[in-house]
Amino acid sequence: MHIKYLAGSVALFAGLLALGWITHGTSIVQNDPERNIFIPEDLTSELQVKATYDGTNIWFRYRWPAERPMLFNDVLVYQDGAWEERGGEVMGPDPDNLVEDRVAMMVDDGAVPLFGRYGGYITIGEGLTTFTGVPETEEERSKYLPSTRTDPNDFETIKPETDLEALRAAGQFIDLWDWKSSRTNPLGQADDTSVGAEREDDAGTAPYFVNFNEDTGQPLFMFDPAKGDPALKIDAVMAGDVGFNDSYYLTEASAVPFDPNRQWQNGDTLPRQILRQGAGSRADIAMPAAARWRNGFWDVTLVRKMDTGNPLEDKIFREGGSYDLAFAVFRKASTMRWHYVSLPVSLGLEQPAQMVAERIEPGTEPDWTQPWTEIKTYYPGQVTWGRLTDARQHPGADRIAQRVPVAYRHGEEQLALYGIEMEFAKEIRTQWLWTLFISLGLIVGMGININLLMRRREAAK
Amino acid sequence: MTHPSNLPAPSTNAGKEDDMKRPGLMQRGGRIGLATAALLIAASGAALAHSEGGGVTMVVEGAPSWSLSPVYHILMAHFPVGLWMTAYLFILIRSLSDADISVRLQQAIWPLAAIGTLAGFVTYGLGLTIYPWSAITESPLGRNHIILASWTLGYWTVMSVLGYRFRHDLFEGAQRWVTLALATIGAMVITITGTLGGSLTGTPSLVTKSLNWIGWNVYMTFYMPTWVLVLYAAGAVLLIAIGVWGYRMNRAPN
Repeated sequence: MHIKYLAGSVALFAGLLALGWITHGTSIVQNDPERNIFIPEDLTSELQVKATYDGTNIWFRYRWPAERPMLFNDVLVYQDGAWEERGGEVMGPDPDNLVEDRVAMMVDDGAVPLFGRYGGYITIGEGLTTFTGVPETEEERSKYLPSTRTDPNDFETIKPETDLEALRAAGQFIDLWDWKSSRTNPLGQADDTSVGAEREDDAGTAPYFVNFNEDTGQPLFMFDPAKGDPALKIDAVMAGDVGFNDSYYLTEASAVPFDPNRQWQNGDTLPRQILRQGAGSRADIAMPAAARWRNGFWDVTLVRKMDTGNPLEDKIFREGGSYDLAFAVFRKASTMRWHYVSLPVSLGLEQPAQMVAERIEPGTEPDWTQPWTEIKTYYPGQVTWGRLTDARQHPGADRIAQRVPVAYRHGEEQLALYGIEMEFAKEIRTQWLWTLFISLGLIVGMGININLLMRRREAAK
Repeated sequence: MTHPSNLPAPSTNAGKEDDMKRPGLMQRGGRIGLATAALLIAASGAALAHSEGGGVTMVVEGAPSWSLSPVYHILMAHFPVGLWMTAYLFILIRSLSDADISVRLQQAIWPLAAIGTLAGFVTYGLGLTIYPWSAITESPLGRNHIILASWTLGYWTVMSVLGYRFRHDLFEGAQRWVTLALATIGAMVITITGTLGGSLTGTPSLVTKSLNWIGWNVYMTFYMPTWVLVLYAAGAVLLIAIGVWGYRMNRAPN
């Protein structure tokens, strides 16, 4: 008889263990718009990169998967007599598909401490815009380098301007190339920016400006009615029915002044950005030709002078030099921190590195015969540099102090999962503690059970 | 295979024989304990000699004023793992065989489990000194290692008590299968705990990847939803109730 109790108890115990196994990790991690939490469906993605140079120019070619091209960023939609702004800076993926695709590349020449080992993590301070619990501020709180603050974990403690200038002169900034499918690609450009005390635009003229008159509440420009419809239809824009062969962007040269007297219809749509040729340091990065999305991939090539003559805004590439890069890809109509980033990648100009830029003869075009460098990108979640370097919050803080590269201890998928766990750190820790104590209680219960039910030989007689 | 239930009934003097054997058992246990202590001291010395890293030391924000190098925990961890897994091996052999050698191995099971448990407590304590509690419980892998280590220690404490109290009876009749089932669960949690420790030091094994294949990515915290925890608590109470009920039923006159 006792063996039935024993077997039943073991079955109950094993069943509960199986139930715990099947259901573990559920119930906490989920989208929470109120806290700016949106977990991407895919935590990792792929990026292929190759580079070449000829002593004067340096080319980078990027290729990454995208289900469909996002050709629009922010738009203006006519609705019941007013022009509404839609898309652009949206939290999480935009269901209307009104956020452009992007690829961004951070470049350093070794002047920024730890960038080559930890990549973009060093630029993520506390209290950045869109982070959970950070109140909305008038000005965006963007990436910054720790050395630009008296307290690296406090955005507000920015150093005096003279100190910042000295840091920049010492090379303590990260060059940031930013290609945008809607705002820069059509005219064959990329945005040349940098990260220092914050995300800063290089001097010069931006390749786009806002198509909206705040005083009148109306667009500044529209499509030329002589060449077709003066506006697009929002349904077609959202559905992806407006493509490369259509007039999908407005340029300073081709647009005509907005006609407020026209009979605008609900759903009429105009791009909220007017494209133009950038100028100055801001426009250092060009494209051999505007990129096209084909067969599920973007294939983008950027080119820049190795020495732009702007050493305070650009990292200068030199023959035989070694550099550190870090990439970010914006996919699936997502922007801001809902991007996929890479760990730092070393670049050598004909030097041993993870990615080697091949030299070509001056005046020739790249033939791109070298193999791609395959780079895994991942969703980084909300992980700040302050957390990573604090031994009370990160067991690996001492390793960072010892300058152990992140890639030595963590893989991309692991970092993506950690990034998500950080977004729910408090809840998961509490639930884990409950799990620990109650499951130990189950083990104790099982122990008491077995000790009561097991029978000794003489009792079994 | 011959089951003990088919063997001749044991002598009625078995209890007295046990009493006579106990002093010898204690002596053997004492010797094993001394040898184990000597080994631990020697190994700790070796660890101490080799624990220093190179380079320039830097102050780390929030670092505890005192912490122990992970090498001691890593060193010690081999003792409970080795002892418990050996105990499991003997349980496995004894469950499947009534040969003389198997019966002899049975005698070593509870000392192995008990010494393993003692070493396990030391290992667990050493592990808690490596990182601040606030930091290690922020790390998914750290949490997982702690929860599995707690389960392992709790589980083998129970197994040690069980092994000692029923050292002659674990393999009586169908009880052997209960023993084997429980020990198999114990071996599994040891294996997972060990591999998580390896992952924590940056050396994930095939076991780590295997866990992913069967539904658990170890880089995500192992926690259960509240409704399952309620079932667990109820299950613990139910198990105790079944135990008490079964105990009374067994003692009740026919």
